[in-house]
Amino acid sequence: MAAILRIERLTKYFAGLAAVKEVSFELQEGGLYGLIGPNGAGKTTLLSIVAGSLRPTSGAVFFQGRDLTGAKPFQAVRAGIVRTHQIPRPFRALSVLANVEVGVKFGGKQKSAGDGENGMGVLERVGLGRAASMPAAELSLGDQKRLELARALGARPRLLLCDEVCSGLTEKETTSVLGLLCDIRRAGTTILYVEHNLKAIMSVCDHVIVMNYGEKLAEGPPEKMQNDPAVIEAYIGKAESI
Amino acid sequence: MTEPGTSGVSGLYRGVWKGAPLLLLGVVAALPHVYSGAYFIRLLFVTLVWLTTSVAWNILGGFAGQVSFGFAVFYGLGAYTTALLLNSGMNRASCLLLGACVAAFASLLIGLPTFRLKGPYFAIATIGVSEAVRVVMTNLPFTGGASGYRIIEKGAFHQLLHFYFALGLAGVAVIVSMLVQRSKFGLALVAIHEDEEAAADLGVNPFRAKLLAHALGAALTGMAGGVYAGYAAFIYPGGVFAFDISVHILLMPIIGGVGTVWGPVIGSVVNGAVHEELVASFPQLHLLLYGSLLILIILFEPGGVLGLLGKASRVLARARSAGGSHS
Amino acid sequence: MTAVDFANLLIAALMLAGVYAAMSVGMTIIYGVMKIVNLAHAGFLMLGAYFVYELHERMGLDPLLGVVLAFPVFFFLGAGIHWLLVRRIPASDQPTLASLLLLFGLWLVLQNLGYLIWHNEDRAILTARTFSTLQIGPITFSTVRLTVFGAAVASLAALEFVLHKTWHGRAVRALMQNREAGRLVGINTERTARWAFGVGVAFTGAAGGLLAMLYSFSPSFGAPFLLRAFVVIVLGGLESFSGVAIGALILALAETFSILVIPAGYQPAIAFSLLVVALVALPDGVAGLWNKRQHWA
Repeated sequence: MAAILRIERLTKYFAGLAAVKEVSFELQEGGLYGLIGPNGAGKTTLLSIVAGSLRPTSGAVFFQGRDLTGAKPFQAVRAGIVRTHQIPRPFRALSVLANVEVGVKFGGKQKSAGDGENGMGVLERVGLGRAASMPAAELSLGDQKRLELARALGARPRLLLCDEVCSGLTEKETTSVLGLLCDIRRAGTTILYVEHNLKAIMSVCDHVIVMNYGEKLAEGPPEKMQNDPAVIEAYIGKAESI
Repeated sequence: MTEPGTSGVSGLYRGVWKGAPLLLLGVVAALPHVYSGAYFIRLLFVTLVWLTTSVAWNILGGFAGQVSFGFAVFYGLGAYTTALLLNSGMNRASCLLLGACVAAFASLLIGLPTFRLKGPYFAIATIGVSEAVRVVMTNLPFTGGASGYRIIEKGAFHQLLHFYFALGLAGVAVIVSMLVQRSKFGLALVAIHEDEEAAADLGVNPFRAKLLAHALGAALTGMAGGVYAGYAAFIYPGGVFAFDISVHILLMPIIGGVGTVWGPVIGSVVNGAVHEELVASFPQLHLLLYGSLLILIILFEPGGVLGLLGKASRVLARARSAGGSHS
Repeated sequence: MTAVDFANLLIAALMLAGVYAAMSVGMTIIYGVMKIVNLAHAGFLMLGAYFVYELHERMGLDPLLGVVLAFPVFFFLGAGIHWLLVRRIPASDQPTLASLLLLFGLWLVLQNLGYLIWHNEDRAILTARTFSTLQIGPITFSTVRLTVFGAAVASLAALEFVLHKTWHGRAVRALMQNREAGRLVGINTERTARWAFGVGVAFTGAAGGLLAMLYSFSPSFGAPFLLRAFVVIVLGGLESFSGVAIGALILALAETFSILVIPAGYQPAIAFSLLVVALVALPDGVAGLWNKRQHWA
């Protein structure tokens, strides 16, 4: 089984503070991976490094066997790595459809399942078809998050990096988005999903990586992580012995 | 969402709207034969030159949102290149094209270091570059330095010839602007304007797109400078490289409607009319006017004249449909 | 070149640095608090020059007194402009094009009002000081330059006092360091911004008056100094006003000693080139908190 993404001892310092410290892991193609950890654990920083927005201080990123360490964001996209943003960043002056068209026109070259899909198709998949001609500035938060996902999908990712796509959404919206993620995975895209909503992660991911204070704490199937004492301690603190 | 029964009319309306630019071109081309006064033709000529620079600047400054205060560099380089080559006997069209090339090359040299800077810093850097070039050209001996450079006239002066060169160039500029706006490249520029990092996160190469937009704008502006040089037959650094030129070039699109195809055109027409009328009697009044207009535009109507017109027409349309629904 | 010549050049550079520093603090305050690049700086320099000039011509007022008077007058002018125009643009932690263009428009208005009122002739302020010199040992000092330098240093010292000992001054420093935190502790950002804008314009107007004592001027006089102010700020950074002093020193030294190597006509290009180099090549170190470079470039 091919490892689509391999991270080796990735480290990122911001003025003396280690946001990410010697993190290594592998993602197999076609998996739905969760990346969890308390606030400030370095999850988004890690995502940004893989996507090319940040340069690592040291360490390497291998994608489909190629060394993509230090690649610029647009190069990562062309290779097939596309990210969504934690806080949506729509192109406000453009229509919803035009937003997706940017990804479609400039996105990855690789043929993934569902390639050849145009902007409208992606919008329909995500449930935003009716809003296609609306200016992106007028979307609700939930729809803006969908647009983030739609834009990333339009760029034909082999590896989709999702940053908290469910935060701020209602229960119903969350279920819907999670279902969407499963569909995307089934269509052949590998997903690395950063999320705070542990229930969401546990319900869809087949493998979970836990970070804390910039380091990888543990990884494994969701059930195992739920019961891992180190993970529990990271989130809740040391168990009281009374 | 056309109402039934009106699609024929709206189709015709749309057809006329699409044909309007061509009609406009024809009208302007015919104007000198209707009013053949030399002063009027000169006014048209100058306006067309400004139009080209205005539309050119808008590609980088309007579509991509990178405000440059240094387009005089390209104007001046185009002017001097054309002047030097004309004196060496080359035909006019080739001189203009080479002027465009020199300007485009300069835009790459300038853009490579400065496009790393964010908006306002890029703007300030372009002021620095523009003024540095002006100072250098003022001191450069082989182009005549501060006293300027003269083109040796061969044969009679045909005002109409220059007018048609200016018209042709203006037409090319508008066509380029329209093509860019509808293209994938134009989409990239607007995305960069909105959020450069998010655009890069979707596969756009912002650096290359900005360099290309800069080169397009520079080439067109360089040709405008060349056309002007051919007409004036005498150019000097304090004129063609002046900060004043850069200021005019950026004010026209902003006042007319930045980021659109026709906004810069409107702005240049306003400038042509206002400039010529005021500059004789009150030389500084037009800049005072522009400064005030700029302030008003930034504070109240960033879309400029075109934005105002758009709002007005929407208000009218709403009033009309409200009136219609009562009948 | 003899030691005396070198000393003369060095002194000239130091005195120029003092003037450049005084001229740049106004812009620094405005940028630091509001992240606004004040392109109208040139206009205020020009107005300050004419203010002092008119007081001297019409009332025989010593230009130094004119400079002192400029402070309160321009403070109210600045606060007024902030109230009228500047506060209407959305505030931001990063400089915006809207603010840049707004102040550029203001510069155009000010400069051309200047042309309308005073026309394009060069003016100069001539006093007994202008032509006299002072001899200290082997060095000859131009009295007027010495006076201006002294005034510049005095005003910078006054600024330090105001920033450290007055409530508003401390609020300004707090906002310069961290805008959000300042709001959280109850600083009224709009009022402090207005005060800061007023102080910035006050120092700029006064600096214009000082410059008028040294150079002849016309309404377009502010522009070269505007660019130099940018250079000073970018070179020196924003962490403290000592950064402005450093930037001013570098620029003044570069300009003064450059005449030894390049023809005089090219000298203005020094400032412009330094500006571009400073913006592009200087890492966050010297330019301090200006997060102007994009992460991956």
